[in-house]
Amino acid sequence: MIAFENLEVRYAATPVPALKGLTLSLERGIVGLLGPNGAGKSTLLKALLGLLTPSQGSGTVLGVALGAPEAARLRARIGYMPEYDALIEDASAYEQVAFWGELSGLAPEASRDRAHEVLYFVGLDEARYRPVSGYSTGMRQRVKLAQALVHSPELIFLDEPTNGLDPDGRCRMLDLVLRVHAELGTGVILASHLLGDVERVADQLVILDQGEIKAAGSMAGLRRALAKRVELRFLDPLDATQEAALSELGTVLEARNGLYDLELTEADPAGAFRWAQARGATLVQVTPRHDRLDEVLLRALHPVAAGV
Amino acid sequence: MPIYAPTLPPAPDLHQGHPPALVLMRFDLTRLWRQKIGRFFGFAFLMLLIWKVARIYVDHLLQTNQAFKPMQEFARTILTQGADFQADLLNPASYLLWFLVALVGGGLVARDTLYRVRPLMYAHPVAPRDYLLAKLGFASLLPFVILLPFALLPWLMSLLLAGFHGPVWTTAPLRLLPAMVISSVLMGSLAVGASSMAATPRAGIGWVLGLVLGAGTLASMIHGLTGIKAVDALNPIMLAEAWPQLLVGVEHPMVGWLPALLGTAFHIALWTFVAARRTRPSEAVI
Repeated sequence: MIAFENLEVRYAATPVPALKGLTLSLERGIVGLLGPNGAGKSTLLKALLGLLTPSQGSGTVLGVALGAPEAARLRARIGYMPEYDALIEDASAYEQVAFWGELSGLAPEASRDRAHEVLYFVGLDEARYRPVSGYSTGMRQRVKLAQALVHSPELIFLDEPTNGLDPDGRCRMLDLVLRVHAELGTGVILASHLLGDVERVADQLVILDQGEIKAAGSMAGLRRALAKRVELRFLDPLDATQEAALSELGTVLEARNGLYDLELTEADPAGAFRWAQARGATLVQVTPRHDRLDEVLLRALHPVAAGV
Repeated sequence: MPIYAPTLPPAPDLHQGHPPALVLMRFDLTRLWRQKIGRFFGFAFLMLLIWKVARIYVDHLLQTNQAFKPMQEFARTILTQGADFQADLLNPASYLLWFLVALVGGGLVARDTLYRVRPLMYAHPVAPRDYLLAKLGFASLLPFVILLPFALLPWLMSLLLAGFHGPVWTTAPLRLLPAMVISSVLMGSLAVGASSMAATPRAGIGWVLGLVLGAGTLASMIHGLTGIKAVDALNPIMLAEAWPQLLVGVEHPMVGWLPALLGTAFHIALWTFVAARRTRPSEAVI
């Protein structure tokens, strides 16, 4: 779907490159793009949309080389949902979705028909003739999603699609994202600060910081890695010898009040009980740490502070 | 609770639609229609047009009806005649037209800036030149379309009433249409350039009026200080008035051919350049 090698993007006004030597290959699926503000997520999206020419390196999006003359036509195969309110306030949802469809290359009549279909798909069937200035945040987000889908793109970029939504609205938006991929076969790049969103829908993850890729891989791979993360609780605090010997089980990430966070060498928590029996310690609880994707992000962004 | 469609059928074939610049212009026309400013301007321009056409009829009556013979000389003294009359077909609408161009053109780019839709346009198969072409085209077509009946209807009326010897020259459209094109492009480029510097449509209107009146004031001041008449060619209002006169062969009291050419080229190039710079994708914040 997307591949780039040693990709570097510079803005004319700044000497430091916004993206530095990115090398990555992404399969068709739902890719979660994580990173703090200024990490380079938007710059990466701009470069992938062909709006910025790489100063170094190469890449392809849907088989078209970045910076190639046909990159403009490539944008007809991509949908983009921006983070901010890019809505034409004095137009109805129907008018603007039809307008975006026409800009993507649909014939006027086809575009109008398509606007009805896509607005119904995102759940805005009833409200589509009202000016968007009167819409709620959730409705506005769905209009933005509709304009990204109107021309049946092969790939869509969603920038913070759940921004400002209540929990119910978030669930509905993420359900729509899943449906877009599952039913339409559209590849999705989802940029979000909300790890829960990414964890729920993405099957691949890319963590960006300061223009560099800090971690990338499939969510299944990350989950496998997380399966080795356990928290051990002992009946009595371990002595110094026992604490030192914990390294036989794996890497100690954190120790506090008789609780030890470990990344096990083997994904076999029963080994911890065998170790405790052999070392004369009483292990009372082994808690798997499956739900700590945020720690993966933090460790990728701040390896020293996270104790790695 | 929203109701969702069971699924979304595939979209029809792409690349069947109109060029992006045309789509953008049509959307701007829809927006203009919604602004409902046509009633006042429609009435004002219609009155001016009726006056122009009525004058042709009055002139015909003066020429053909003996009862009006005594009034003929008087009419000659108060009404423009000959080449002046041809150029005058376009001129009375000048200030009103500038105001309309400011009102509509001032918001053309600024509205997209306010709603932050330009980056999204560039995320579609729209090149910056398509965008610029659409905005310049729309802002230039508007005054051209308004001026068109002023050039053609009196000419047609004159032809119908008096044949080739009517008050409007047979060749008048050939001279007035190029003047309209030049003036319209001048107005359009200035409006789009000014609008590209504004963050809201209202600010855009202010920018257009400020630039038009400011350039005129500056030109007058320099003229007053240096005594060089040619500097008046920096005044866009004067330029728009001068072109019909120059093309029908009337010597403009302030602006000659060369200053008019240079002044018009300067304004069109400058404001198109400003608009191009201000609407680049790198100016767009995604």
